[in-house]
Amino acid sequence: MQFALPPRRSPHPLPLSRSSRMSSYRRKQLKSVAVLAFAILSLLYLLHYLSSSASTSVAAPAGTSGVVLVTLLDWQRFSESYLKKIVANREDYAKRHGYTNFFASVSDYDDAVGDAPMSWAVAPAIRHAMATHPRSAYFFHLATNALIMNPTKSLKSHILEKGRLEDLMMKDVPIVPPDSIIKTFAHQTEKDVDLIITQDSENLNPGSFILKNGEFARFFLDVWFDPLYRNYNFAKAETHGLDHIMQWHPTVLARTALVPQRILSSYSNSSPGASSDGTYKDGDLVIQFHGCDDEEGNRDCAHELDPYYKLWEKKTQTD
Amino acid sequence: MFNCVSCVLITSLPNFPSFFTSCHSDLTTNTYTPWLAFSLRSTSSGLHNDRLLATHCLAPILAMTLSRSPSPHPGGGWSSPGLVPASGITSPNGPSPGSLSPDTPGTISWAAAKAKSDEVRGYPSFTTRNSGFFSRQRHKIWTRFSSFRKLSPREYVDKDDYGREWKSAGGGRGLLGTFRIPIRRGRFRLMFALFLVWVGYLCFWATIVQTYRRSPIGGGSKFVIILASNVEGGVMEWKGAREWAIERNSIWNKKRYAKKWGYELELANLLAKKRYSHEWRESWEKGDVIREAMLKYPDAEWFWWLDLNTWVMEYDTSLQHHLFNDLESHVYRDITAYNPLNITHPLPEFWLDELGRALEGDGEADSLNMLLTQDCVGFNLGSFFLRRSLWTERLLDVWWDPVMYEQMHMEWEHKEQDALEYIYQSQPWVRSSVGFLPQRSINSFPPGACGDGDNPVVHYQQNAHDLVVNMAGCMFGRDCWSEIYYYRELSNWLGRSGWERFRDALGDAYDRVPGKAKHD
Repeated sequence: MQFALPPRRSPHPLPLSRSSRMSSYRRKQLKSVAVLAFAILSLLYLLHYLSSSASTSVAAPAGTSGVVLVTLLDWQRFSESYLKKIVANREDYAKRHGYTNFFASVSDYDDAVGDAPMSWAVAPAIRHAMATHPRSAYFFHLATNALIMNPTKSLKSHILEKGRLEDLMMKDVPIVPPDSIIKTFAHQTEKDVDLIITQDSENLNPGSFILKNGEFARFFLDVWFDPLYRNYNFAKAETHGLDHIMQWHPTVLARTALVPQRILSSYSNSSPGASSDGTYKDGDLVIQFHGCDDEEGNRDCAHELDPYYKLWEKKTQTD
Repeated sequence: MFNCVSCVLITSLPNFPSFFTSCHSDLTTNTYTPWLAFSLRSTSSGLHNDRLLATHCLAPILAMTLSRSPSPHPGGGWSSPGLVPASGITSPNGPSPGSLSPDTPGTISWAAAKAKSDEVRGYPSFTTRNSGFFSRQRHKIWTRFSSFRKLSPREYVDKDDYGREWKSAGGGRGLLGTFRIPIRRGRFRLMFALFLVWVGYLCFWATIVQTYRRSPIGGGSKFVIILASNVEGGVMEWKGAREWAIERNSIWNKKRYAKKWGYELELANLLAKKRYSHEWRESWEKGDVIREAMLKYPDAEWFWWLDLNTWVMEYDTSLQHHLFNDLESHVYRDITAYNPLNITHPLPEFWLDELGRALEGDGEADSLNMLLTQDCVGFNLGSFFLRRSLWTERLLDVWWDPVMYEQMHMEWEHKEQDALEYIYQSQPWVRSSVGFLPQRSINSFPPGACGDGDNPVVHYQQNAHDLVVNMAGCMFGRDCWSEIYYYRELSNWLGRSGWERFRDALGDAYDRVPGKAKHD
């Protein structure tokens, strides 16, 4: 190959002319500067990588911890003495495990719920709890018809501990029993879960569930609370609304874990519709008097609560 | 060698002839191929096939005293229990654009459509013509030869052509004379090398630039343009010459833009499908198409939906330069800045967190997942962007919902557009990720598309070199093809190269020579 122009300089510059002039001290200095620069650059890269991965993750914001117990108190439908018992029950549990309580009055959400049944207030109430405690990781909603019966059992050891949920999750199970063709994902793992909930023999049970703080929680609560669902006249209001979105919207289902009923919401003997092995046995975390506050008025929550409340009182004193 | 020579010949007049020859061959080869649509990629996915079987009747709002929402059935489909059996037979009154033919609203039946398609099949198939290789290629070859024979664009005859009155008159003559450059013997090799470099540049430079732009460094592969095409597939209305012309011109336009900047172009075949028809509605078609595109291009980040009746005016403007390098400064999130729908913003609810009640979301460009424009009546989904993200997946998921559709299908005249407006208003999680762009940045309207006025916020401004024109609503009482044609020619004219401008100016000057006009 012949070049069109002759090269200007010799292609071999004097190889040692420069480095020989550089003192060893200077060389050392340069070396340390290079190492330092490299370290700083890699640190910056690492930080950048970490921050960018954090912004896309769906987990709760960094630094969140703790559990908030959300209880909605309906002062119009329940007597004051009954609600005081419920409050005492929650406060005791929160104190034992360092959880935070969030009590909200149903009437606060009158405007938000509008003409729909007031049981829909659960969605804005949890949203409210999330706004009030933005740095908490978990929100445990427990309806006023439920009582915590095993106060020594912490949510962490019971459900939230690493590996524990993996054992409890019911995979490939119809969401709405007994025969919905939509089933929970078979390949879901613990880290994909933002919502932990149970089902009875007919429906999902929104009276007791754990929701992880984060973008999913906002999305889920907003969708659930959509005015068009509230106005649809679902026979069981928010329960059927929940059944509906769980079956029709895979992005909701994909972050939801079903656990056996007795983990979060054992039904009392007088409550019909428990799933198989869903009735309360001694040692369960929660007992729920499901349907005791129904419109028909055949049952009396306060009356059903009483024996179990006494039992719980005895337990708290012995512990 | 042949290719190279043709390349030199074509590109020696920068841009203009090369564009015209390519345009020429693209347009004319398709002139005889009305079966183009059948070769378009079919985008049916089978995503919802399992829900196809059950018929469902749409409930009048009065009938909505259901005990619970219907579960999906084994074997597919969803039905609304508790409805009067006849409610599915009659279509709702009132216009439902796109889905029904305008002359017989509400009376199109499946049987009628089938009869119509039988009628079509009655004609002898015209695909049997041009079956041999040579007879198929002959036209192409001839086009290519003739295109260098007549390099002057003034001789170029376009089948889709009519009326060029807005163009400056006068024709350019072949101004390139033959120059004889005296070459000294000693310099011959240098000149030859330069010549080779020049030839190489002409042949390969465009390819190199395009390859770079497509690469991850160039960033072009981060964008996918989804073009709605073959709308209704000629099922509801016979597709005439004008419809075919719109189709191939619009596709050619996006192809050229996408190729230049290394973007992907996805042609969405919006053939009339049963599952998107009024009483079978299982989803919004746009949502499904975007989801499929997201699966097909796993590396892409932004997906740009464009309706068929749009025209990209400025090929030289990249999306990165136009918007995405500095997204923050182009987007407004506070809808009160321009709020034709009168949406309450920010949300006043005390139980929402700060983000839910924020005026401008979290203010970070990273959280923007949807970019759209508002026209004079509300959201416009003729041209919008979606970013691949969890947020987008969730939006596409909840966008269509049977319970919502059942209650609102009479009011949601513009289907997914109205549904999105509704969701934006009713679900706070959506707001922080939606950014609004000034309408003219990606969605200028031609005059007459938004009222009778010529509001410069809404309508195309030639001097501002707006990127895209959307002939929105041109099928209602306007002429889509003439509008598209006008903007096609205007875009070509605005995008002339320096050489063409010079020649046009020269032609004008020549025409202005006293006495010349009289002789013409």
